Amino acid sequence: MLELRDITAGYARNAPVIRDVSLTVAPGEAVGLLGPSGCGKSTLARVAALLHRPDAGTLVLDGEPVRRWRHRAPREQRTAFGVVFQQARLSADPRLALSDLIAEPLRATGRREGAADRVGELAATVGLTADLLGRRPHEVSDGQLQRACLARALVLRPRWLVCDEMTAMLDASTTAALVRVVEDYRAATGAGLLAVGHDRALLDRWCDRTVHWTALTAAAAGAGTSSG
Amino acid sequence: MAEAAAEKAARPATAWRSYGAKRRSTRALRLRTSAALVALTVLAVLVVPPLVQLDQQAVDLAAKLQPPSRQHPFGTDDVGRDLLLRCVYGLRVSLLVGVAAALTATVVGTAVGAAAGALGGWVDRGVMRVVDAFSSVPHLLLGIFVVAMFRPGVWPVVVSVALTHWLSTARIVRAEVLSLRSRPYVDAAVSGGASRWRVAVRHLLPGVLPQAALAAVLMVPHAMWHESALSFLGLGLPTHMASLGNLIQSARGSLLAGQWWPTLFPGLFIIVPTLAIAGLAGAWRERINPRRRSELML
Amino acid sequence: MTGRAPVLSVRGLSVRFLMPGGRRVAAVTDAHFEVRAGECLALIGESGCGKSVLASALLGLLPGNAQTAGSALLGDLDLLTADERTLSRTVRGRLVGLVPQSPAAHLTPVRTIRSQLQETVAALTPARGRAALRAAAEAAAERAAFPADHLDHHPHELSGGLAQRAATALALVGDAPLLLADEPTTGLDRDLVDRTVDELRRHVDSGGDGGEGRALLMITHDLAAAERIADRVAVMYAGRIVELAEAAAFFGAPGPRHPYSRGLLDALPDRAFTPIPGLPPELGALPDGCAFAARCDRATDTCAVLPPLTGTVACHHPHAALTEAADRARTA
Repeated sequence: MLELRDITAGYARNAPVIRDVSLTVAPGEAVGLLGPSGCGKSTLARVAALLHRPDAGTLVLDGEPVRRWRHRAPREQRTAFGVVFQQARLSADPRLALSDLIAEPLRATGRREGAADRVGELAATVGLTADLLGRRPHEVSDGQLQRACLARALVLRPRWLVCDEMTAMLDASTTAALVRVVEDYRAATGAGLLAVGHDRALLDRWCDRTVHWTALTAAAAGAGTSSG
Repeated sequence: MAEAAAEKAARPATAWRSYGAKRRSTRALRLRTSAALVALTVLAVLVVPPLVQLDQQAVDLAAKLQPPSRQHPFGTDDVGRDLLLRCVYGLRVSLLVGVAAALTATVVGTAVGAAAGALGGWVDRGVMRVVDAFSSVPHLLLGIFVVAMFRPGVWPVVVSVALTHWLSTARIVRAEVLSLRSRPYVDAAVSGGASRWRVAVRHLLPGVLPQAALAAVLMVPHAMWHESALSFLGLGLPTHMASLGNLIQSARGSLLAGQWWPTLFPGLFIIVPTLAIAGLAGAWRERINPRRRSELML
Repeated sequence: MTGRAPVLSVRGLSVRFLMPGGRRVAAVTDAHFEVRAGECLALIGESGCGKSVLASALLGLLPGNAQTAGSALLGDLDLLTADERTLSRTVRGRLVGLVPQSPAAHLTPVRTIRSQLQETVAALTPARGRAALRAAAEAAAERAAFPADHLDHHPHELSGGLAQRAATALALVGDAPLLLADEPTTGLDRDLVDRTVDELRRHVDSGGDGGEGRALLMITHDLAAAERIADRVAVMYAGRIVELAEAAAFFGAPGPRHPYSRGLLDALPDRAFTPIPGLPPELGALPDGCAFAARCDRATDTCAVLPPLTGTVACHHPHAALTEAADRARTA
């Protein structure tokens, strides 16, 4: 269970981007969060993935309240999330070849043995060929790079996936391919998904339920408090 | 298959037009000229002194202040020392001071800037106040102050130049770290379980090193000028050492008497290598600039 | 199809890049198409298929290691051979208006929309004098439906939609007969995409000399945006145009004829949502035959030979064309 309760978060003091927002994702559930760009839905996704500390509110992960974010969060909690961002170019360290990019979480957590096999297996899953794996980000297209970023998100076998506008910059075929990879992974592992986006047709097709951002904020404004 | 071959033969060969070739060639010319001049400079200061068994300090009062000739291509100074040899030795000292000062300043600046940018919070605020305070004092004044505390010599000058030049590197590195820190790839590393140290060493530092190295190279000419200025004021290297600043300083009197060579050649020895180094650094900057990195717009 | 003369006529346009080590990358190969006044041609394809390189070639913005072949005639002027001086003085803004990919990056951040519009007006039109410039800038903003009370704002104070309108207003100032929109909807919400492309369509239908409209070449990977406003669709794959069809037939019945185009449409979430298997080929190592054959379920031995663009489609085994018009085009 991933529960966001009355989350208020932002990047400057006294100017929260989101205010008192609550959202729950059940285990194995796929929730689409639909909203216009700049509304704060990405911030909520970052809070959910333990990447941004909220100013107020609680995040309950599998029944346990989260108290620390980013580096301060325990490693097992952080790595329970696989995250994919909108802009593959900015989400990839420009100096790492794609195979190193995918293997980086394995190395960072000290699981070096078998890393090469795992990278090869994931590359096949996301549809990257062997010669692409040796290239660096500026030598591949946006679509190919986003495939690698998705493989990196899956490499530690996370229990939760947070896809923040994962396909907004991609063409229809790559979008369909990446969504299929995510769904195959979820079917195999039972992972939950929070997919943030602005394309209603896509989220409706992809997710079990789609929540509109305005409904979330209206609930916060109307009910004052909600119990998640 | 045969049809295809026939079709290929029948089709007129595509007439390709090059695009922007001119722009590329001027860039290449600049790069080559700069590289050649820098190579020449380095070669001169490394090879000439051990190979040429001449004493740069050899005084020949019979041949003092001679204009350039076959025997003395750059002429001689007011005590008859060969100016070409003096210039080469002077360049050697200036370059040594410049490189040493630039390296010191870069190491200090990178460490301070990276720490400020990566740690943030009160560390960042405190460090940047110090940087601001140092920056508010004129460079040359601060440099003179430092040199005046020691006996004349190479190392006080290096320290003086380094102390006044690490500030800009610290600023550049801090800004770069701050901009990299907010990139999604750092978020992805955090989510992938990377420790704070790993993020700093594996993802942030490699990203700023090209910028820091570029700043270091650009600082060499700065430091050379700074050394020359200090020496010209009589505060830098001891007067018996042939530094370019000292050479110009001691040639002041003869310039008024119409003897141009003791001023011109040391001056050129400052200007040409510094321009060449700056040119090389400029070409390098174009390479590491991410906007230019991908010439293929895919 | 109207009998109007084409505004832009691209004939055999090819662009290749010379890479270090003598490698050659064929980004665009032998593209033929026309755009007429009052018509919107959408150039669609996956990222990396060469469509943005084609746009750069038309604007004279290729990097130094590029080589071009063929011609792109805008009236009597060949955009590929024109020198930088001609391009900057008579082409950009005056003959070709560019609607940029990210308006936020296209607008100068430190100046108000009004001052940027006035500067462009002063550069591109005969209007002179403070009052005339002011009036012309306001008229330009109105044409792009940019609200007059936001003219004194800086770009960062505008929403994405308004920034896009401001950029469009700048593109329209010179009253250029050809509008070139390079991924104008990337990163915008669906509502905003619809509004942006509807406005582009409005500019196609109005304006231009004698009211016959402007020509619009829209380069996009957003098929829904293309479906909404395009008259014709050109599908690009691995640097070649593989299908050039009427939009109504392409998106409706009988649908696309090239297997690749069909795959693209089937990948849409409101259709089959099925990806095309495999990856596009490297532009630096294209096969001799049909570049799509490796991913195509209709491929046979004949696909080892490059299929020419006959009629509307470059394929040895196209899907059936049910309409008479397409049949005629095929036999022609």
